[in-house]
Amino acid sequence: MEYILKNGVVFDPKNDVNGEETDIFIRDNKIVDKVSSDAKVLDVSGKLVMPGGVDLHSHIAGPKLSIGRLYRPEDIRKGVRAAPKDEVSGFEAGFSLPTCPTIGYRYTKMGYTTVTEAAVPPLEAKHAHEEINSIPNLDIPTLTLFGNNWFMLKYVKENRLDDLTLFISKWLKLAKGYGIKIVNPCGSEAWGWGKNVDGLDDPEPHWGVTGREVITSLTKVNERLGLPHSVHVHTNDLGHPGNYETTLETFDCVKDIKKNKNVDRNQIMHCTHIQFHAYKGTSWRDVSSGATELIDYINKHDHLTCDIGQITFDETTTMTADAPMEYDLFRLTGLKWANKDIEVETASGLIPSIYSSRAPVSVLQWAVGLEFFMGVRDPWKIALTTDSPNGGPFIRYPKIISWLMSNEKLQDMLDNEVHNWATNRTDLGTYNREYTWDEIAILTRASTSKILGLEDRGHLGVGAKADVSVYDIDVNDFDPTLKSNSSVIEEKLLNSKYTIKDGQILVKDSKIVKLVKSNHIWCNVQGLEKYEKTLEKRIKPEFNKYYTIKYENYGVNDHYVEPETRINIKYGGESFENN
Amino acid sequence: MKTINLTMKKETSIAIEFDNVLPEMLYDKSQKEIEDTVIYRGNKEEKLSDYFDIEVSGESENSDDCTIVINGDLSRVKRIGYYMSGGKIIANGNVDFHVGARMSGGHIIVNGDAESYAGREMTGGILEINGNVKEFCGASYAGEWRGMSGGRIVIRGNAGKQLADYMLNGEIHVNGNCDILAGVHMSGGFIQIDGNVNQWIGGQMKKGTIVINGNLEQILPGFKLQEIIHNPFINGKYFIGKYHLYSGDKGVKGKGNLWIKE
Repeated sequence: MEYILKNGVVFDPKNDVNGEETDIFIRDNKIVDKVSSDAKVLDVSGKLVMPGGVDLHSHIAGPKLSIGRLYRPEDIRKGVRAAPKDEVSGFEAGFSLPTCPTIGYRYTKMGYTTVTEAAVPPLEAKHAHEEINSIPNLDIPTLTLFGNNWFMLKYVKENRLDDLTLFISKWLKLAKGYGIKIVNPCGSEAWGWGKNVDGLDDPEPHWGVTGREVITSLTKVNERLGLPHSVHVHTNDLGHPGNYETTLETFDCVKDIKKNKNVDRNQIMHCTHIQFHAYKGTSWRDVSSGATELIDYINKHDHLTCDIGQITFDETTTMTADAPMEYDLFRLTGLKWANKDIEVETASGLIPSIYSSRAPVSVLQWAVGLEFFMGVRDPWKIALTTDSPNGGPFIRYPKIISWLMSNEKLQDMLDNEVHNWATNRTDLGTYNREYTWDEIAILTRASTSKILGLEDRGHLGVGAKADVSVYDIDVNDFDPTLKSNSSVIEEKLLNSKYTIKDGQILVKDSKIVKLVKSNHIWCNVQGLEKYEKTLEKRIKPEFNKYYTIKYENYGVNDHYVEPETRINIKYGGESFENN
Repeated sequence: MKTINLTMKKETSIAIEFDNVLPEMLYDKSQKEIEDTVIYRGNKEEKLSDYFDIEVSGESENSDDCTIVINGDLSRVKRIGYYMSGGKIIANGNVDFHVGARMSGGHIIVNGDAESYAGREMTGGILEINGNVKEFCGASYAGEWRGMSGGRIVIRGNAGKQLADYMLNGEIHVNGNCDILAGVHMSGGFIQIDGNVNQWIGGQMKKGTIVINGNLEQILPGFKLQEIIHNPFINGKYFIGKYHLYSGDKGVKGKGNLWIKE
C-alpha cells in the first residue's frame, strides 16, 4: 500500500526538518522518496506531522501490573469507557493501571508506536511477553532486570567479567530482552534481609558487592557486547532527601568506560526518572531541589542521558523493583502496600501515590522534574517520561508538553495553583524557556529512539519505518505559548488525527480503525553460542538449587514472541578462547 | 411533583441493573421515553417496559421534584439509586446489591431487606432501609481504602459484617444488631448501634466515633478505657445512661472513640 501525506507541517529533528510544509511518501512499511501514481493521498495540509512517538521508559506489561490491578480495583474503575461503536477498539478501563488492550488503544491515539517496558525480571518474562500479546498496536522492547541477580553478583564479586558477559548474552536470549536494566543495585537484594543499601559504596549484606561495582561491571559488559541501548540505570537512594550526591557519583562512575565503536548512540549510561534522584536535604522537612548540580553535570558531559519521570498531580500507582523504597513510602503514607519477592533476581513493591498540587513534597517533585526540562540545554540528552505510572500515567504526556511550551501557563501555575515550595525550594521560577515543536519532537521521538538505539524509527528519512503521527493542529495558525491554548494542546495530542504504524493507518480522525498485534523487540547476540553452552552447563546445578522452577522451563519460548523483531548483534568484543 | 410508578410484571433469575433509572435521568422524560429506558439484564440490553408496568403522573422542573416508586419482587434488581444525586426512590420489597451505592444526594427508602454493599462509598443523601442489610453497608468496595464519606444511612433491622469498613465521614444508625468487624479501618464519621454487637468492632480505626447501646461480646485489646460518663453529649445529641469511653485502636496509633453503654 502506498500513501502520500500531503502538505503537512513536518517536524523531523534527526533530518533537520523543522516545520517545513512537505509531503511524506510511504510504501508498505517504509518511508520512501517517491511513490507511484496509485498512492492514496491523505490531505494533512497545515497539520502537525511528526514521526511515531517512542517512549523509552514505561511500565506496561508484567506481573507488577497484574498485582496492581488486583490490589487497586478503585483504579480500574476509573477511565471506564464502553466499546465505541464507530471504532474497532473494545472497552477501556483503568487510569494508572489500565487493562492491557486499553494501554494499546491510548498510546495509539496519542500517536505513539514504540513503547519500552522498562523492568522485566527474567523469571517473569513469560508473563510480560504474554501481556504484550494482549496489548495491540505497539512495538515493545523489554529491559531485563540484572542489577540484583545472584549470578551477576557472584561474577562481579569474583571479578569474572567473561562469565558475566556470557551470562548477560544468554539471559537476554532466555528473557527475550532488549537491554540491561539496573534498579537500586544491591539495594533490592539487601531487601531480602529487610535492609537497603545507603549509596553507591555500601556493600550488599550477602555478597558484599557494592552498587558501584555492579554498575561499572554491567556497563563494561554492555559495551563489550555492543548492545544497541546502554545500561538503563535506576540509581540507589530513590526518593530520599540528599540523594543527589549518590546520583552524581553514579553519573561519574562510568565516565571512563569506553563506548562500543559499532553503536550509534552517544551515551554509555542512561539514568532513568532522574527527578526522583535529585533532592538535597536531610529529611522531608528540609528537602530542596538538587537539580541544579545534576543539570550542570549533564550539560558538561556526553556519556550519559536521562529521562525525567515527571510528576503530574494525579492519584497514581508506584511500582518498582526497588522494594525497600516502596516500604519507605508505606511507612510515610500508611497506604496499602504490596511486596513481592522474585527469588534470586530482584524484589518488587507497589503502593498508591497521591500527588497533589497543594502538598509541598509533591510540588517540589513536580518542580524538580520541570527544572531538568528547563535546565538541560541539549534536548537530545533527555526524554519525556513520567515513569508511567509512577509519576503519573502516560496519558499525561500531552499535559506536560503544554507546560513546556507555555511559560505563561507555567508561571500561572506557580503563582496560583501549586504550593510555594515550587518557588521557595527550587529554581524553577528563574527559567523562562519555552519548548518549540521541534524540541518536543526530539523529547518524544528523536532522542528517545537514538538513546534506545532504535535507528529505524524516531525520524522520517528515506528507509525509516513508516511510523507517523499527525495531529489536528494548524501549526502556522496556532500559538502554543498562550496559556489559553494549553488545554487545546492536551486534547489534540491525546487524540491524533492519524497514527500510522508500519505503513498501516491505525487511527483516522481520532478513531481507532485498525488493530494489529504488538511486536516484541529483543536482542540476539551472535557468535557466543559455544561459550554460552559451557556456561549453561556450569550454571544449571546452581540454578536448579536456588530457583523454584527447572531451568528447562525458565526461558521464553519463541511462540511467546510472535511477531518479533530480533535484532542480531555480531559479537565483536574480546576473545573467549581461554574460557 | 412527578411520580413514576414501576411495578414488576416479569420475574427474572438474572439480575437487572437499575443504574439508568434515577430521578435525575427521568424527571424530564415522557412516558414513552421512560418505557424505552435501557436497562441491562445480565449482559443484554433490555427496555424498562419489558419488565415493569409504568405509570407516570405529574410534571417536575428538576430531579428533586421527582419520585420513583418501585414495587414487586426486587430481589434481583441491582444498583437501585446508584450514583443518585437528587430526588427520591421508594423501593417496596427486598432489593439486591449496591442500593444507594455512590449516591451523593436525594433520599432512598427501602421497605424491605437490602443485599450487600448498600450505600457503599456514598458521599451524600439519605438511605433508609426498613429491614435488614447484609455485608459491607456504607463500606468501601473490595480492595478500596475509602468507604462512605458523607450522607446518612438508617437501618431499622440488623446489619451484616463489616458495616462502614473504611468509613471517612457521614453517619450510620442501626436500630438492630450488628455482626462482626463494624467500623474497621474507620477514619471518620459516626456509627450508632442500638442492638448487640458481635466482636472485633473498630479494628484499626484511626478516628471517628462508634456508640453501642446494646451488648458488645468482646472489645479489642487496642482500645483503652478513658473515662465513664453519665448522659454524654455525642455527635450533637445526648445519650441517656452510663457510657464507657474507650480510645483506639492503639495498634495503629488510632484516636477513635468507642462509647459502650453499661
